[in-house]
Amino acid sequence: MNCPTARALFPDLLDARTPAGAHADARAHLASCPECQREFSALSQTLAALDALPTPAPTPRLRTNFYAMLEEEKHSAASVRSPAPPLPGTRTAARFAWLLSPLAACALVALGFLAGARTAPTASPAGEDATARKFAQLEKQLGDMKKLMAISIIQQQQASPTNERLQEVLVAARTENASEKVLNDLLAALAFDPSANVRLRALEALYPHADHQAVRAGILATLPREQNPLVQLEMIDFVASAHDRAAAPALEKIAQNAAFDRSVRDAARRALAQL
Amino acid sequence: MVETCRTRAALPVDTAPEPRSDHALMLAVRDGELDALGELFERHHGPLFGFLLKHTGQRTAAEDIAQTVFQRMLKYRHTYRDEGRFAAWMYHLARRCAADHFRKANAAPHATDPADLQDHADDAPDAGARAAVRDDHALLHTALARLDRDDREVLLLARFQELSFAEISGILECSVGAAKVRAHRALHALRTVYFKLQHTRSA
Repeated sequence: MNCPTARALFPDLLDARTPAGAHADARAHLASCPECQREFSALSQTLAALDALPTPAPTPRLRTNFYAMLEEEKHSAASVRSPAPPLPGTRTAARFAWLLSPLAACALVALGFLAGARTAPTASPAGEDATARKFAQLEKQLGDMKKLMAISIIQQQQASPTNERLQEVLVAARTENASEKVLNDLLAALAFDPSANVRLRALEALYPHADHQAVRAGILATLPREQNPLVQLEMIDFVASAHDRAAAPALEKIAQNAAFDRSVRDAARRALAQL
Repeated sequence: MVETCRTRAALPVDTAPEPRSDHALMLAVRDGELDALGELFERHHGPLFGFLLKHTGQRTAAEDIAQTVFQRMLKYRHTYRDEGRFAAWMYHLARRCAADHFRKANAAPHATDPADLQDHADDAPDAGARAAVRDDHALLHTALARLDRDDREVLLLARFQELSFAEISGILECSVGAAKVRAHRALHALRTVYFKLQHTRSA
């Protein structure tokens, strides 16, 4: 084997995925050629340097944005599963829907007319009772529908303030030289808002103010009460990146408490190591 | 390892005591359990960010692209296939998102691209270039930045991501043989630039 052929195989020899016994002739050439040994060593050094290149962690912004996006997707209409593709037969039927639909409507009208014409002359007290029962049934169904509509409207009314609260948090987040009141509002949103999305946004908005002792203390006070693992993770990231040593006891408790999600306990342990 | 993951994915997910495989989680996401994407994010966003950071050389861009990758996972979750492997799919999406980023960056004014500035410094080493190569990591970052974009991509995929060449060839949309040739060529190119920079530093 000559030098160029052997050298073409060097990356393969340096690849952990290559079987140990592969390219025996190239290995034999390498053992006897000083020039190729130098080239092999250079490639090996390059790969070692590449492997030693540290990978810094992304900023907490990536996690915050991801979970906000996930929440948004879960709540948006787009998260409703897209319907399954239609079967070939139904697709053909759909192509003639413009013709079939009016025909079906006409057929129904005709059937109704015939049924009416046959039953009308034989109307009796028993028939009237049946009609009255049907009428009562329809009235009950109408009542149920009204109730459902009312519930739906109430739910919508409860949902809309979440967006408003989110807007408020976003406006607060954009405020430069945030006053104590703005910070307090954000901490209050973090502590009490029922929507995890709003709480995450509030936490994100508090990041630039991590140097405020009051902000760190507020987050630390909220952390044990927080129920959502995603928000818990973000809070732990916050206190870790703020290097808040006062957080150590709270993090210890989380790390040892099996009631917390495993990823949260792991994050607490990592944060303790950082502190 | 892959086989173990596939076997695990075939078990009933709720009763499995061990963590679900990436593939099982992504299938759950596809079937509407969107929270499962959180677990996938926690497992993969670090290495994905590392790949994108080394590929783009820009921290903010790498974060933005990583965010877009997870966004597309949600958007295109219905296209995830039963026989697929999650990591290969993720890097396939990452490659597309990075390509979009580079297209936009190319449309921007040339002088604002730091990679280009480093390229000019290669031909005429000055104080700035010398400062940039003052340690080995910076040296290698500079060497990576000077590689052809396709070379850098295949090299990073082959070296950092523990994917098989069959999967890499799937990500790059080429044959296994072609993927190997490209990875080998990229390694030789990196070796040349890296040693040239080392020589410049010691001179």
